[in-house]
Amino acid sequence: MSESNQTDLSRRQFVGKGAAVAATVTIAPGVLLYGAAEARNLDQPASSDVRWGMLIDTNKCESGCNDCVSACQTEQGWGGENSNEKLSAPEQKVQWIRKVDLKDTTTGHTQSLPIMCQHCESAPCVDVCPTTASMRRDDGIVLVDRHLCIGCRFCMMACPYKARSFVHEALEDQKPHMPRGKGTVEACTLCVHKLDAGEGVTACSVACTKGAIVVGDINDENSDIAQQLKRHKTSQIRADLGLNTGVRYRGI
Amino acid sequence: MKPVRKLLGLLSAALLLITLVPSAIAEVGPTIPKPIKGKQCVAETSDMRRNHMDYLKKHRVEALRQGVRTKQYSLKECLECHVPAKGEETTAESGQFCKNCHVYVGVKLDCFECHATQPEPLDDKSAQGHPVATPAMNAMGRIHQPYSALVMNSPATQQREAK
Repeated sequence: MSESNQTDLSRRQFVGKGAAVAATVTIAPGVLLYGAAEARNLDQPASSDVRWGMLIDTNKCESGCNDCVSACQTEQGWGGENSNEKLSAPEQKVQWIRKVDLKDTTTGHTQSLPIMCQHCESAPCVDVCPTTASMRRDDGIVLVDRHLCIGCRFCMMACPYKARSFVHEALEDQKPHMPRGKGTVEACTLCVHKLDAGEGVTACSVACTKGAIVVGDINDENSDIAQQLKRHKTSQIRADLGLNTGVRYRGI
Repeated sequence: MKPVRKLLGLLSAALLLITLVPSAIAEVGPTIPKPIKGKQCVAETSDMRRNHMDYLKKHRVEALRQGVRTKQYSLKECLECHVPAKGEETTAESGQFCKNCHVYVGVKLDCFECHATQPEPLDDKSAQGHPVATPAMNAMGRIHQPYSALVMNSPATQQREAK
């Protein structure tokens, strides 16, 4: 396997690359046409020129709405009604994405937001994995290589976001694009099968009727997500850990 | 006259073997169900019999860890031809392509503890037949190449031709 080039999102590089790829066409005064991001050829490996990320606008996210969670379940096939997973204890059930309600106890202000794998640049789960099963792809997507996962669950302990789950039950009838099995750890894949197919969206971002979830290449200056990240103040959860997450939040 | 008799004896024994052996082999070997679709596998059958495990392993590393999503040696694509999709007609034998042979040679197979055992039914009629293109790929205008083209253009073939 070739040496992985880690995506480095230092500001200097970010700005440099942005300038290099900014291909814009002026149609009329004040109207710019941005060239669509070139989709990756499927026989080429993922490149560190791309960093997939997600921006969640908590101002648009409604408490009580679970559309993103159920869309994820349907897409990836976890937590199904007929699955053996229902035999697991409630605190041990698989949960790739969950909704969290926050309340400021002083002011009473409430917020709702989804939390899933934050696809960190310096991912603690990757650091602690004894078998290199927990890995980060060159385009920033953090995945579990379940061919190598021995189910030790170190990564679950290391993750500050509690984003990973362990499969406790023997499964069947998995989705062809998403193999899952007993004894391995799993988490949000940022719908890598969709991104690789050039769809540029995730199941949750499509399902969110409020448009609170935006997915895209944050290294591509012309992408919707990069534009929004530039325009608005966004934050990382537990930014103090310095993990440089691929998932950013607005309004928290 | 002894050597002649010996020779005759040997000849008749050989004749007996020639007539008996093929039928014996046919009964002993594993039952291999015919593929649901397609006439030619992604490589020569003899090559696939000997090397499929290496091809699959190489593909799994590249696909998962590097995001190389070629279809030639994808396990998902194997199922598209060798296993009927959900809701399609099945027989007792269909879908046992991998299992029958592995049971025969005594090799434990655990791909399917995690991987789907059946392809999803096609919802896009325009993509029917083999090879399969996902709706997303159709939309992108990147229809899956026929296998002949894939094999012709594969790096392995190109290397072979360069030699």
